[in-house]
Amino acid sequence: MSEITNSVGRSNGWRRLPLIAAVGLAMSQNAIAYTSEDGTLEINGFVENATYQRNGEGLSKVRNTAQIEMAKTLGDVGRFSNVGVYGTFRATYDAVDHFNDRFGRSAGGPVFMESTSGVPASSVPYGGGIALPGGGLEPGNVNDGLVLLGSDLHDTDGGVGLAVPVRPCDKDSRGCIDGYMDADTNELRSPEFNDRWDFIRELYVDASLPQVDGTEWSFRVGKQQVIWGRTDLFRVLDVLNPVDYSRHNIYDELEDIRIPMWMATAEKHFGATELFDDLNLQFVWNFDKFRPSNLGQGGSTYAILDAGNFFRAMNNCWDNGCTVSNFANGNTATDFPKNVIGIRKAHMPSWSLDNTQFGVKLEGETKGVGFSLNALTYRSHLPSLRGGIPADNPFTGSVESDIFPYLIAFDIHFPRVNLIGGSLDLYSDSLKSVFRVEAAYTDGEEFANTLRPRLFSESDVFRYVIGWDRPTFIPFLNDRRAFLLSAQLFGQYLVDHERKRVNGIEVGIPDKELNHIATFLMKGWYKNDRLSPQMIVAHDFGAKATTLAPSVDWLISDNLRLTVGANIKVGDSAQKFDDCRACNPFPPATGPVGAEGSLAIRSLAGFEPLGRFRAGPIGMAQNEDEVQVTLRYRF
Amino acid sequence: MRVAKTIMAAALTTALSASAFAATEADVEASFYPYKNGVPSFAGLTAGMTIDQSNADQFKDVIDPATLAFIKQGWTTITVGETTSFDLHPNYVQATRDGLGKVKLGATSGEIEGFVAGRPFPAEPSLDDPRAGEKLAWNYKYGYNWGDNAAIYPFYWKYKDMNSGKLERTIKFNFHFLNFMHRVNQEPIPNIEPNPSQIFRAIYVQALEPFDVKNTQLLIHRYEDDLKRDNAWLYLGFQRRVRRLASGQVTDAFLGSDVMIEDFEGYNGRINDMEWTYKGTKEMLMPFYNHNDLTLSEEHKESDGYQFVEMTGKGNCFPQITWQLRKVYVLENVPKDSNHPISKRVHYIDAQTFTIPRTLIYDRKGELWKSWQIGQAHPDHHLPKNKGTGVAIDDSFTMVDVQAMHCTTGQFKGQVDPALNPTKKFTVQNMRASGR
Repeated sequence: MSEITNSVGRSNGWRRLPLIAAVGLAMSQNAIAYTSEDGTLEINGFVENATYQRNGEGLSKVRNTAQIEMAKTLGDVGRFSNVGVYGTFRATYDAVDHFNDRFGRSAGGPVFMESTSGVPASSVPYGGGIALPGGGLEPGNVNDGLVLLGSDLHDTDGGVGLAVPVRPCDKDSRGCIDGYMDADTNELRSPEFNDRWDFIRELYVDASLPQVDGTEWSFRVGKQQVIWGRTDLFRVLDVLNPVDYSRHNIYDELEDIRIPMWMATAEKHFGATELFDDLNLQFVWNFDKFRPSNLGQGGSTYAILDAGNFFRAMNNCWDNGCTVSNFANGNTATDFPKNVIGIRKAHMPSWSLDNTQFGVKLEGETKGVGFSLNALTYRSHLPSLRGGIPADNPFTGSVESDIFPYLIAFDIHFPRVNLIGGSLDLYSDSLKSVFRVEAAYTDGEEFANTLRPRLFSESDVFRYVIGWDRPTFIPFLNDRRAFLLSAQLFGQYLVDHERKRVNGIEVGIPDKELNHIATFLMKGWYKNDRLSPQMIVAHDFGAKATTLAPSVDWLISDNLRLTVGANIKVGDSAQKFDDCRACNPFPPATGPVGAEGSLAIRSLAGFEPLGRFRAGPIGMAQNEDEVQVTLRYRF
Repeated sequence: MRVAKTIMAAALTTALSASAFAATEADVEASFYPYKNGVPSFAGLTAGMTIDQSNADQFKDVIDPATLAFIKQGWTTITVGETTSFDLHPNYVQATRDGLGKVKLGATSGEIEGFVAGRPFPAEPSLDDPRAGEKLAWNYKYGYNWGDNAAIYPFYWKYKDMNSGKLERTIKFNFHFLNFMHRVNQEPIPNIEPNPSQIFRAIYVQALEPFDVKNTQLLIHRYEDDLKRDNAWLYLGFQRRVRRLASGQVTDAFLGSDVMIEDFEGYNGRINDMEWTYKGTKEMLMPFYNHNDLTLSEEHKESDGYQFVEMTGKGNCFPQITWQLRKVYVLENVPKDSNHPISKRVHYIDAQTFTIPRTLIYDRKGELWKSWQIGQAHPDHHLPKNKGTGVAIDDSFTMVDVQAMHCTTGQFKGQVDPALNPTKKFTVQNMRASGR
């Protein structure tokens, strides 16, 4: 109790500090750019405060950022020309846990787990479910620092329920997955200061090598972002860098959330040829140690699909045992011992030549059409949960370490994916519109699949985006400046999709076989572009979920920019799917012998754990409506 | 039958206009050296004098209506300079001679036949020629505006509130121009090959400051076939992507300024997009001067000592320059597209250089919207590297939005220097490679 009281008292004193600090920095005469006398060295950057308020939850972001950008041109060096060194360095401090004790070291508390059978009660405290012969929860797995998985979005409603430890891993190590999701307080507050030195956002050397035939090779080596494709928001070809979704789910500019990697690019510029106005061939070698996308750790402010919370709950189940709502008989809260269900570990690919990633792109321009052909072999940035790991049967009381088909016990893998794709853009004069198309076909991706004994399967995937841009005058809104109207349709088709409907529930792969997401942007400019309102709408057809994101950008001066926005979700939120409570991994205790995975006895579905894949990133964030204020001073 | 008659009539008109207005060697001399036998004069007008509110009406016949109104309201004054000859490069003049009798308009607007290089139609325009306006437009398009190539390096744009004088934005650019075809001075001549899409000219723009637009790049390809739509691309630093631009964006305020891409250099679009009408020849005061003879700005002084043109007057919206009494062609262009944001432009084209120092732009209601002024500096009184280039150097501009009481001013460091404009700079790939 005293810790909570202190936290509240502290927050009163701190509440206005970040904004004041940012404004103070902004006005500081010391915050100026630098250009050397010969013009070959330029240093500039920005300071920023981003403060977001989440409806019903309080502050969800109080992030202060300082970024320095450096460019040093060296000119000709030996046979190379246009040699230069470029760097971007970023430091952030998100103070949200100082102001909102729903996050950080005081987050969470005791929870009650639903038990619809009424045994031993209609809800039981965590650790109070019926015991199994194999034992109960580990001693340190106490009922504190927890929240119910998905509780900000849905009730347990007779489904599976798990509890998530939500405090930083230095405060509460339960559910922290070594090497994957194990951030401590400081790493959550200042994610750049980790063992991958992310405060170096980019640092690379550029050089060109002119050829006697008039063509040119250009090289870029170092920590960098390599961007493929022509579409906004969606990552069909733009998959060379992983992405940090923990910063603001899917809503930040990719420029700010791509995780730069140590890569080398070599590009042959053919220039104009007899057929092409411009032709270029690019080779990309990502020689960095593998990094997955950051999905947001359990308990942090942004966790796309709520996956980080699910993983943490499951890892705690494996390491320490856990109480699961409505599990036994599909209606009784059950205490599982450790090493039975959950996530055992993440197999993070170590550095080896085999684990590096390689891509080729041919890009050019001909007859008014821009095009690219792309090929890439890479490690998926998204995790795959592979079942079929050795586990214990909790009904025997002995330790078997055996493989039980259809058991919800997983390791996390990042499978190798091969991608081929392409893109094009063109202008239609009759429609006054630009069209952008991007498509990719991958093999190697893996999806949760409750029809398979290991609860996952591989599927080839075809993804595409069709984009449309049109500047359009809307005289009653602005008779002097056109609005940009931009729409995109993103489609994803799972070639090897498996889904069945049995006993009134859906089983198989929760992702839809074919799903579409549409986006629409309308952006206007007033006051000589110093005031720019915009509206972004995104709708997930499969999830029936929509995001509305209005914002206004005010350029107060050449240096100071204020952005006020909101992010509002409407439509459906959580959805139910087969939760594999009736998968019968331990016959005869869980069902008839020889009927492991039998569809005949599958009849239980819930919001957790697989409904998240049906709800998608928009549906899973339905209760994360926000008002956002960002003040940035560039120097 | 009616169709056949129409076609025949059109063909006859074309043939008549081609023969009746065919150019001669004397036309070439008159076109390029209009002041050879003396400079124009106007009663009471002398070099060194100032035209202000007190005497503006006396000179209303040699001042365009917008500038006259500005002077009468006390927003600006005109300092009169000596009229001087801005001789274009001899190779361009020779190319014009070489093309005499070989160039003619096609059957429809936007078509030209037999053109290789130089000024396509050096003959004096005639009000009797129904296609005289088009010919002037072609002379402008194939003009020696920036020579075979040039860069404005750097180029400062300032957005200003005219009423308060408040400086709202300062944007620093580099602009680059390259003619792929009809080159007369720098190898390769006349065309850069290979050029599969027959790009006539390319413009590449790079924004350097302030930081919210830093790394923004614009590339425009104009094709030899005037009926073919320009291609344009924009690189936005915060997206790190090249986006193809829809043509509508060339009629939009460029980066929030009072200038649209279509306004660049006076008019930056296809001939076929407009109906062109020659309205007559006049002698008028135009912003032509010797840059090195001006009192220049101390702001943004370059390390080589170069100084930019100073701004003065209402809201600091007017370049502090001198004006010459010069021969101009009044040319009106009216957009064919009824959705175009303007109803017409009235260009005052300098007869000797075929640059467009003055343009009045009217809104869709037909009311004056903007006054567009591009000051021309003599190349021999500018940077040493520009001496002898025969290029009238775009050197200062102001776009005054008289309805919004807002202006955008421009200060140039024009450099006719092939080293600044290699072909590879005008590719989409260069935008990606230069982007940060």
